Amino acid sequence: MATSKKPVHRSKTRESKSAGRKAAKKRQPVKALAKKKSAKKTARGEGTSKRAAKNKPPSRQAKAQSKEPAVAPNALRLTFSYVGDEVQLVSQQAVEMVVPATDAVKNFGRQKGFWAELKSERNKTLYRQVMHNPTRNDAEVFSDDPHQSISRQPAPKRKGVFVVVVPNVPMAAEVALSRSPDPRPSRALGLASVRSLATAPATEIARFKLRK
Amino acid sequence: MGTSDGQVLGSTKIIDAGPAAKRWNVVIVSEGYRSSEMDQFAEDARQFGSTLLGTTPFDRLRAAINVYRVDVSSKDSGARDPVSCNGTGAKPKTYFDASFCTNGIRRLLVGNSGRVVKVVNNQVPQWHVALLAVNSPIHGGSGGAVPTFSKAPNAVQIALHEMGHSAFGLADEYEYYAGCATDSGQNNHSGSEPSQPNITTNKNRATVKWRDLILPATAVPTTTNANCAKCDPQPTPVPVGTVGLFEGADYYHCRVYRPEFDCRMRNLNAPFCMVCQQVIEKKLKPFLTS
Repeated sequence: MATSKKPVHRSKTRESKSAGRKAAKKRQPVKALAKKKSAKKTARGEGTSKRAAKNKPPSRQAKAQSKEPAVAPNALRLTFSYVGDEVQLVSQQAVEMVVPATDAVKNFGRQKGFWAELKSERNKTLYRQVMHNPTRNDAEVFSDDPHQSISRQPAPKRKGVFVVVVPNVPMAAEVALSRSPDPRPSRALGLASVRSLATAPATEIARFKLRK
Repeated sequence: MGTSDGQVLGSTKIIDAGPAAKRWNVVIVSEGYRSSEMDQFAEDARQFGSTLLGTTPFDRLRAAINVYRVDVSSKDSGARDPVSCNGTGAKPKTYFDASFCTNGIRRLLVGNSGRVVKVVNNQVPQWHVALLAVNSPIHGGSGGAVPTFSKAPNAVQIALHEMGHSAFGLADEYEYYAGCATDSGQNNHSGSEPSQPNITTNKNRATVKWRDLILPATAVPTTTNANCAKCDPQPTPVPVGTVGLFEGADYYHCRVYRPEFDCRMRNLNAPFCMVCQQVIEKKLKPFLTS
């Protein structure tokens, strides 16, 4: 099951934070969400044999539970587009699917690279996905040479999309993207300006508010 | 040009490990196949699924992985092959506008990834990785949001390498940029610790990311490049499969280390190293539950 939320979101401003907090307060706490999920399972007869579920009439409790509103899908698919340095969140899609295990959410402050973080309203990292920099300005090239089957070449026309799937949890308020800055301008000639060669710690490049 | 040059025909689950909502869903999308060639695409997709699940560590994770194919027909076969890159000049009309010679690079085969994402969102909403299979015998491919590969022999290895990037955040482990013979300025990795799990600047045995896999008898660093102006020419001093610290990775000759002498993230023809295998298994662990 998937529900689509389309509007384009630009990097958030501080003013929108308080509105986000209010909206989040209205959302269900995690424990309540877990309880509803198990209730839904019971109503469907999951966890029992198919035959038993088929033959047994639904209980009064199960009937009452089946009238409850549907539980929110447990993942959010975030689609970003980028042109040059400009990154935008172009869609948020709630999907019933499993999210891959998170990368470390602590002690990564001085690391280099590219990653997406799911943030709480208090700026706590709830989930983190380390990524091969999707906005890089070079490309991998493949050859038949068994000794160097892969190499890179500058590819300066940078535009495209990338997708991040994060848990759809009530505490989530924003998604932040971090990337290592380009190599020093004094070396910004030729290969030195290529983003994949950036080796300084990553800094936040964009932050987007999630729709509630 | 574009979506008027073909049609989305539908999706088929070709490897079934369980409900899409509980499994890791790999989707292979056709590009440059005419409607009369969809049987061929079905066979190509089946072969890809078979190669994927025959590749370690995915062979140990079969219970976690579904594979789908999305049939998209095009008016013409193949992909564009511009003469500016010494190509044939072919300009077939295809749904995703795949073309070689992207950015003037002969083997850089790229389709419209935004269009692929849109189609896959509609066809398999629970997708985790989408790949574009291009009906061309010319060797080529690309990475990014939608790993892309042609039908040339060995091109499927491109898809597996690119999945290492796009699905698991693995870094490149090769120690050169354009090539060992042509590079300049790739001597020393000057920066901080990489966030990627399969490369490091830390040569401390007690704290390095993959310390649990380094045997006490293995020297650390395991190899050192004697001339940082060049790629390290020495053969492996330890048996294949030994985990240690091998100098040279992430496009630099020195001051950055990879966990094994060889790996699919360094060489298309090698298997994933043990550290990359562990990363993949950890990422897919949530999909192994009933």
